[in-house]
Amino acid sequence: MRFRFCGDLDCPDWVLAEISTLAKISSVKMKLLCAQVLKDLLGEGIDYDKVTKLTADAKFESGDVKATVAVLSFIFSSAAKHDVDSESLSSELQQLGLPKEHTTGLCKSYEDKHSALQGKLRETSLRLGRLESVSWRIDYTLSSSELREVNEPLIQLKLQAQGAESGSSETTVVSVSADKFRVLLAELKQAQARMNALQ
Amino acid sequence: MLLVLSEEHKEHLSFLPQVDAAVVGEFGRIALEFLRRGTSPKIYEGAARKLGVPVEMVQHGVEGLMFLMTESSKHMISEVDFLDSVLVLGFSEELNQILLQLYLQHHVHIRSILSQLPSNVPAYHNLEWRLDVQLASRAVRQQVVPMLMLRLLLSGVGDGVCARRGKVLQTDPSTLLHIISTLEAALAAMKTSHARRIFRNIK
Repeated sequence: MRFRFCGDLDCPDWVLAEISTLAKISSVKMKLLCAQVLKDLLGEGIDYDKVTKLTADAKFESGDVKATVAVLSFIFSSAAKHDVDSESLSSELQQLGLPKEHTTGLCKSYEDKHSALQGKLRETSLRLGRLESVSWRIDYTLSSSELREVNEPLIQLKLQAQGAESGSSETTVVSVSADKFRVLLAELKQAQARMNALQ
Repeated sequence: MLLVLSEEHKEHLSFLPQVDAAVVGEFGRIALEFLRRGTSPKIYEGAARKLGVPVEMVQHGVEGLMFLMTESSKHMISEVDFLDSVLVLGFSEELNQILLQLYLQHHVHIRSILSQLPSNVPAYHNLEWRLDVQLASRAVRQQVVPMLMLRLLLSGVGDGVCARRGKVLQTDPSTLLHIISTLEAALAAMKTSHARRIFRNIK
C-alpha cells in the first residue's frame, strides 16, 4: 500500500504498530500531545512531564510514551516533507486505522503549523560552510623594504564561515590589491544579478 | 571449561584467606569499582593501613581478584567450572562461595564493559543530502548541471556514540543510480540460500 505521506512508499511497520497505541488515548489528550510534539519539531523543546501526565490515564509505560512521541514526530515531519495537504493526510491515517476524532484533531494541528514546519525543515536542510560575517579594512601602503615609495591601497578581508566538514567557525583573512578587488566585485555583481533574475 | 591460573596469580590470591570474609567482600566491591572506573592507589594505601599489611599485598590481592573475574566472565564459565577452578587455590568453602556470588552477580555487567573495549570501525549514523542544479559559473553561463551533495555522518571510533564525524561527498545522478544498484545487490546477497544457511547455524 503506497501512502503519500510516506513519500509514495509503504508505511513503516513500526508506524502501523504504534497507530493502535495512539488510539488508546482520548482525542482531547491526543490534540494536546500533538501540540507538544509540534513544539519539539519547531525547536522549542518538549516538556516530558506534560507528556507523561497526558498519557498517564491510558497507563502507558515509558516505552509506549517514547513510541507515541516518535510516531507523531514521524507523521508530522514526513507529511510536511512531502507537502501533503491535510485532507489526504486525514484519509490516509484513517486507512491505517486511526479513529476519526483522533485524525481530525491531528490534521487540524498539522494544518495550523504546516508552513511553520516547512520553514523549519528548510532551515535545517543540508548547507555547507555558511558565511557568518564579513569585515574589511582598507590600508594604504606607503613604503616597503623592496621599494621606497609604494603608495597603494590594500583591502584586508576577514571572512568568518562555518567549516564544511567540521561545522565549527573558521576565519579566513585575505588581503586583496585594488585591481584584483575590482575584478572580484564585478564578478560578484554579475552573480548577484543572475540570482535576482531567478527570484 | 576450567580456568588455568598461573603460579603468580595463585600467589597473589593467597593473600585472601588471611583476612576475614567481610574484607574479601569489600575487596570484591573495590575490584568491581576499579573495573568500572579505573584504579586508585589511595584506596590500596587506606586498606593496607587498616589491615597492617604492605601495600603491594593488597594491590596484588585486588588485582588478582579483578583478573579472576574478567577471565571468568570472558569465557562465560558455569558455576561448577568456576568452583572447580577456584578449588585449586585451596580456599575455605565460605571463601569459595563468596567468590562465586561475586561472579554470578556481576558477570553480565563485566561482559558489557569488556565488549566496549575493542575499537570499532566507524559506523553509519545518518545521511543528509541535497539536490542542487548549477545554473552558471564564472566561466560559463546558461548551464544546467544537476548535482547531489551528501553529508555522511559516522559515529566515532572509540569515542562512543556521541562523537560524530561528517564526510562531505558530491555525486551526479548517474553515479547515484550506480551506488543505489550496488547497495541493492548487497542487500539481495543477504537473501541467498548460502547466507541463509549460515544465519541459521549461528545461535
